[in-house]
Amino acid sequence: MKSRKVATILVAPLLGALSLTACTGPGSDDEPATPVSIDQDWSEADPITVDVFDGLANYMGIQGGWFGEIVKEKFNMELNIIAPNVAGGGDTLYNTRVSGGDLGDLIVADKGQQMDELIAGGLLLDAQAYYGSMENVTPYDDAVAKLNEDKDGVYGFPTAVSSLKPTEPSEGLDPTFGPYLRWDLFAEVGYPEITTLEDLLPVLQEMQDAQPEGENGQKAYAISLFGDWDGNMMVTAKQPATLYGYDELGFVLARADGSDYQSIIDSDSEYVRALKFYFEANQMGLVDPESTTQNYDTMFSKYQNGQVLLSWWPWLGQSAFNTEERMAEGKGFELVPMQDQQIFSYGAEVYGGKQFLGIGSGAEDPARLAAFIDWLYSPEGVMANSSQTMGSAGPEGLTWELGDDGEPALTDFGRQVFLEGGADVPAEWGGGDYADGVSALNVSTVLPKDVNPEIGFPYSYTYWPSYQETVANPLTEDWSARMGGATTTVEFLEANDQVIVAPGSSYTAPADTSEVEANRNQAKASIIEHSWKMVFAKNEDEFDKLLTSMQETANGLGYETVLEFDMANAEAQNESREAVAAEFG
Amino acid sequence: MTTESTAEVKTTRARKPPSMQRTRGDVPFAIVNYGGFLLMALLCAYPFYYLIINSISANDASALGDVRLFPQGFHLSNYQQILGLDGLTSAAIVSVARTIIGTVCTVLASAFLGFMFTQERMWARSLWYRLMIFTMYFSAGLIPMYITMKTLGLTNSFWVYIIPVIVQPFNIILVKTYVESMPRSLQEAAEIDGASTFRIFFRIILPNMTPILATVAIFTAVAQWNSFQDTLLFITDQKLYSLQYLLYTYTNQASSLAQAAQNAQGNLGSIVSAATSQTPTSIRMTVAVLVVLPIIFIYPLFQKYFVKGIMLGAVKG
Amino acid sequence: MSLTQGTSTSTRAAAVVAPGELRADPDKRGRARESRRQVKSTKSSKTMFLLILPFLILVFLFSYLPLAGWVTSFYDYRPALGMSGSEFVGLQWFEMLVSSPTQLRQIGQVLTNTLAMSFLGFATSLLPVFFAMLLNEIRAPWFRNSVQTLTTLPNFISWVLVYMIAFSLFSTTGLVNSVLHDWGIITAPIKFLDTDQHVWLTMLLWSLWKGLGWGAILYLAAITAIDPALYESARIDGAGRFQIMRYITFPQLMPTYVVLLVLSIANMLNNGMEQFYVFQNAFNKEYIQVLDLYVYNIGITGNSLSMATAIGMLKSLISVLLLVAANAVAKRARGTSII
Repeated sequence: MKSRKVATILVAPLLGALSLTACTGPGSDDEPATPVSIDQDWSEADPITVDVFDGLANYMGIQGGWFGEIVKEKFNMELNIIAPNVAGGGDTLYNTRVSGGDLGDLIVADKGQQMDELIAGGLLLDAQAYYGSMENVTPYDDAVAKLNEDKDGVYGFPTAVSSLKPTEPSEGLDPTFGPYLRWDLFAEVGYPEITTLEDLLPVLQEMQDAQPEGENGQKAYAISLFGDWDGNMMVTAKQPATLYGYDELGFVLARADGSDYQSIIDSDSEYVRALKFYFEANQMGLVDPESTTQNYDTMFSKYQNGQVLLSWWPWLGQSAFNTEERMAEGKGFELVPMQDQQIFSYGAEVYGGKQFLGIGSGAEDPARLAAFIDWLYSPEGVMANSSQTMGSAGPEGLTWELGDDGEPALTDFGRQVFLEGGADVPAEWGGGDYADGVSALNVSTVLPKDVNPEIGFPYSYTYWPSYQETVANPLTEDWSARMGGATTTVEFLEANDQVIVAPGSSYTAPADTSEVEANRNQAKASIIEHSWKMVFAKNEDEFDKLLTSMQETANGLGYETVLEFDMANAEAQNESREAVAAEFG
Repeated sequence: MTTESTAEVKTTRARKPPSMQRTRGDVPFAIVNYGGFLLMALLCAYPFYYLIINSISANDASALGDVRLFPQGFHLSNYQQILGLDGLTSAAIVSVARTIIGTVCTVLASAFLGFMFTQERMWARSLWYRLMIFTMYFSAGLIPMYITMKTLGLTNSFWVYIIPVIVQPFNIILVKTYVESMPRSLQEAAEIDGASTFRIFFRIILPNMTPILATVAIFTAVAQWNSFQDTLLFITDQKLYSLQYLLYTYTNQASSLAQAAQNAQGNLGSIVSAATSQTPTSIRMTVAVLVVLPIIFIYPLFQKYFVKGIMLGAVKG
Repeated sequence: MSLTQGTSTSTRAAAVVAPGELRADPDKRGRARESRRQVKSTKSSKTMFLLILPFLILVFLFSYLPLAGWVTSFYDYRPALGMSGSEFVGLQWFEMLVSSPTQLRQIGQVLTNTLAMSFLGFATSLLPVFFAMLLNEIRAPWFRNSVQTLTTLPNFISWVLVYMIAFSLFSTTGLVNSVLHDWGIITAPIKFLDTDQHVWLTMLLWSLWKGLGWGAILYLAAITAIDPALYESARIDGAGRFQIMRYITFPQLMPTYVVLLVLSIANMLNNGMEQFYVFQNAFNKEYIQVLDLYVYNIGITGNSLSMATAIGMLKSLISVLLLVAANAVAKRARGTSII
C-alpha cells in the first residue's frame, strides 16, 4: 500500500507532463482580437532565429544562400528548419515535439486531423489580429476562410492555392500519369496504333526486340517494377488505372467525374486488369525478373541506362533518361496516345493543397512571422520561394528579367542554373551555389502555373514562351509533328479529349478510425503480397487461384469495413468536387 | 605504448600458452584451422571491400550492382560531398567526446556494479539486481522517454549521451559473471586485512578483469559511436549533433529529394551526370565506409587486452 | 589515454598480488567462506547498498519512470491533445490483435516464424563458443588478430547495405547466377532472394555471418579468465589438444554461455525486424514475417502510438516471464541462478 503511494507520487510528474499540452489548452479568451498591423520595416527589428517545423522540407538546418539573404534583408530573421523528412524516424519528431508542447515558431503541417489537433492542443496561434493587414493573402481570402472553417480564428494559411479554375489541370506541361514510351524505339517500329491498354504488349515486344540491350550492354526489358512505394496496393499496378481516369482513395478506385467507384480486388476492376496486363507481359518475357527484389534506386539506374522502355510517369522515365544529348539524337521518353485513354488529372486547387502554414503559439515575434507569411504570397515571394521541383524561377534580376517586349526570360545566369547544371551566385546576392541557396521551405504558397499579376505570365519559368523555344529539340519536334503540332503533352491531351480533370476541391479524407486503420494495414499487406505473386504466376490457372485467394484473405482481414469507409469518403470527395466545380467552374 | 605492445607480442611468442603445445595430429589440424579462418575472414571482409569499391565507382553502375571486384568509373565525389558537409568537424568532435567519456563512465560503472552485485552481504542484493536486469526488456516508448529527458533538463544537452546509458545491465551481467569466475581467495584475503570495499574493488578486482572490461569497452564504444537515435530524439541544437546523426540526416535528405521527384511536375530542368549524381545508396555506402574505418583502426588496440589474460596465466603457471 | 593507464595499473596489481592468492585452491574455499561470514557481520550491508544507490536512481529515472507512459496503451493517445484530451479505450488495442480467424491464422504463422528463427538461433548459439576456442588455437598473433578484426566487420554493416550486397551477388543477374551460367551449370537463373524455399535457413546463415565474429568476442575474453593451473594439470595428465578443449576450455566457458542463453531466451519474441524487413518480398513473406516485422508491416506502430505501446508492453511482460522461467530451468540444471 505504502509503496504504491510512493510510486504514484513519483510517477505523477511524468503523467502530468504527458497531459501537459491539454492543460495549456487553446487560449479561448473570448475577447475579440485587436487588429495589429504588420506593416513596418522589419529589416530594422532585432535579429531573431525562428524554428520552422516543416513537413515538406528536404533540408535541415539554417537556411543559407541567396534565399536566406533575402529573408535576412527583409525581416532580419534566420530560419532554422526542422525537417521530419530529414530527421528520420517517421512521425517521431512531430510526436515528441508536440508532446513537449512546442512544435515550432513557424509550422508547415497537414491540414485535416493534424491541424485540428494542433489547434485543440493549443500549439497554433490565432493570427486573426494580423490577418487584416496581410494584404498579399487577400486575393486568396476564400481559401483562407475555407481552411479555417468552423475554427473560430485564423490558425492556418493554405498552400498551393490557385486562382485558376478548379476544372483546369494543375499540371502544366505533362500530366502526373501517362503511358510514356521510348519514343525513338516507338518510331523504329513504325509508330503503331494503340487502341487500348493491352495493345501496348505487342508494341512493347517489338520495341524490346528492336533494342534488347541497354547502353551498358545489359539486358533491357520493356517493363521494370519495384515495390518500395507500395501502399494500399501494388503501386505500379495502380498506374494503368489512372490512364482511364481513376485515382485511388484507400481501397477504392474513383473516377475523376464520379461516374464509377471500384473496389480494387473485384475481378473486373482496373487494378486486376493491370495485374493481368503485367502477368501477360511477364509471360511474353517483357518484365524484368529482378522486379521482385529491386528497389526504386536500382530501377531508376536501369532507366538511366536505357534498360527500361515503358514509364507510367513522365517524372520517372524523362528525368532519368531524357538528357540533352539523347534528346538531340531524338531519343527519350514521350507520351504515346492510347485511343481510349482519359488520363486522370488533378484540377487546380482553389482552396489550396494538403498542407497549411501556421504560426506556433510559442512564437517570440508572431507579427514578424505573419509579415513573413504575407510576403510568401506576394509575387516577389512566390517567385523566390516556390519549390524548385515545381519550377521556381528565383529572384528577378538574378535568374530572370523582363525583356524589352515585356516577356520574362531567363538570364544567362538563369540558363546556367536551370539548364547547364548550376552556377555560383554573385556575392551581392549572398554567394554560394545557387542550388544550395534555394528556399528550403519547399512549400509553394501559390500554384506555379498561376499567372503572376506583375508580369502577366505564370510564376514558373517552364511555362514561358521564351523557355519553350530554348528547350525544343529533335525529340520534342518529332513528337510534336506526330501529335498534330501540340507543344506540350497537356495541350495535346486537352485537344483530343484524352484527359479527365478531377476538380480541385482540396478534399481531405477523415483519418482512419483505429479499427479501420488496423484492418486496412493487414488487408493491404495481403493484397500487395498476392498482387506480386499474380504478376509472376506461372500460368493463367495460378493467376486465377491467387486472385480468389487474395479476395478471400482480404475479406477475412476486414477488407469490407475499410472499403465501406473508403467508399463513403470517395463519395464525399466527389460531392466536394462537384460543389467546387459548380461554384468556380 | 608501441614498445609495450611489441614486447608483449614477443613474450607471447616465447611462452606458448599451455593449450598450444604440440601434439599428435597438429599439422593437419593447423591447416584446417588456419584455412577455415582464412576463408571466414575473406567472407567477412568482402562486403566491406564491396562498399569501398562501390563508393568510389560510378554511382549508376554501382546502383545496378555491377561493381563486384574492381571499381568502375573511379571518382571521389561521394567522399568530397560528405567530407564537405557543414558541421562535420563539430559533429566528429561530439562523437569522439561522447565515445570516450561515455565509454569511460559506462566501463567504470559496469565494473563497479558488476563487482558489487557479487557481494552477497548487500542489503536486498538480488532484488536490486533483478530490477536492473528487467529493464533490458522494457521499452517505455519514445514519448515518455522524451518527456523524461525534457523534465530532467537533458534535452539539448551533451549529457543526454552519457548519463542515461551509464547503467548497462548487459555489461553488468558480463562483469558479474566474470568476477564470479575469479578466485574467491583474492577478495577474502583483503577483507581479512580489513580493506574497504572501495579498496578491494580498485586494488584487487579492477586490475584483474582487464579482458572483460576491454570487451565492455568495445561494446560501449561501438554503441556510442554508432548511436544516432538519441540525437534524433533529444537534440535540436546543431552544435550537439553526433557524426552518425549528421550522416544519417544526409542520407535521409538524399532519399527524400529522390522522392520529391515524385511530386515534381512538368520539366525538371537539366539533368546532372548520372555517374556522379548521388543516390541514397551511394551515400549510404560512403557513410558506412567512413564510419567503420575508425572502428577498424581502433579495435586492434583493444585486442591486446585479450592476450593479457593468457599472459597473466602463463606467468603464474 | 585511458588505455595506457589501464595497462600500467594492471601490471602493477599483478605484481602486488602473489600468484598463489590469485587463483583459488579448491579446498581452501571452505575455510575462506567461514572467515568471510565473520567479516560480513562487521560490515553494514546497508553501506554497500548506499554505494550502488546512485546507480539505482539512474535506473529508476531512465527505465522505470518512463514506464508510466504504459498508461497510454489504454487510451487512444494523441500527443497534441495530451492524456486528458485522448479517449480512454480500455483493452481495445489488445483485443484488436486477435479479432478475426484470418488474423489468428496469420498471427499463428508469424509466431511460427518468430519461434523458428529464435530456436535456430539457440541451436547455433554454441558456434561463437567454438569459434573462440578454435581461434584461440591459432598460434600466429598477427593472424589471430586479423581474423578477429575482419570477422567483426559484418557486424558494422547495416542490413540495408547487406541486402544491397546480397542483391548484387544473388539476384537473377547477380554474380553467382552469372558464374553458374557461364560455367554451364544452370540454364535458368536460380531465384535465391525471391523464393519461399529455405527462407529460415537463409536468414539464419545471414545472421550468423553477421554476428558470429562479434559474438565470439565475449568468449575470447572469457577464455582469458580460465585458470592456467587447470591447463597445467591437464597436460601433466597427458591430455591432448582436443581433450583440453573438451574438458577444460569448454566447461569453463559454460557460465558465460548459459548467461547469454538465458538472456536470449527472454528475447525469444524479439528477433528485430531490420534483417527481415530488407529481405522480405511477396514470395518469401509467408516465412520471413517475424513478429517485429509483422507489427511494422501492418503499420500499427505507424500512426497509433497507443497500439505500439500496448504491443511493447505485452512483449516486455512476456520477456520478463520468459527470463524468470529460463532462469528457473538454468538453476535446476546447473545449480546457479543467473538473476
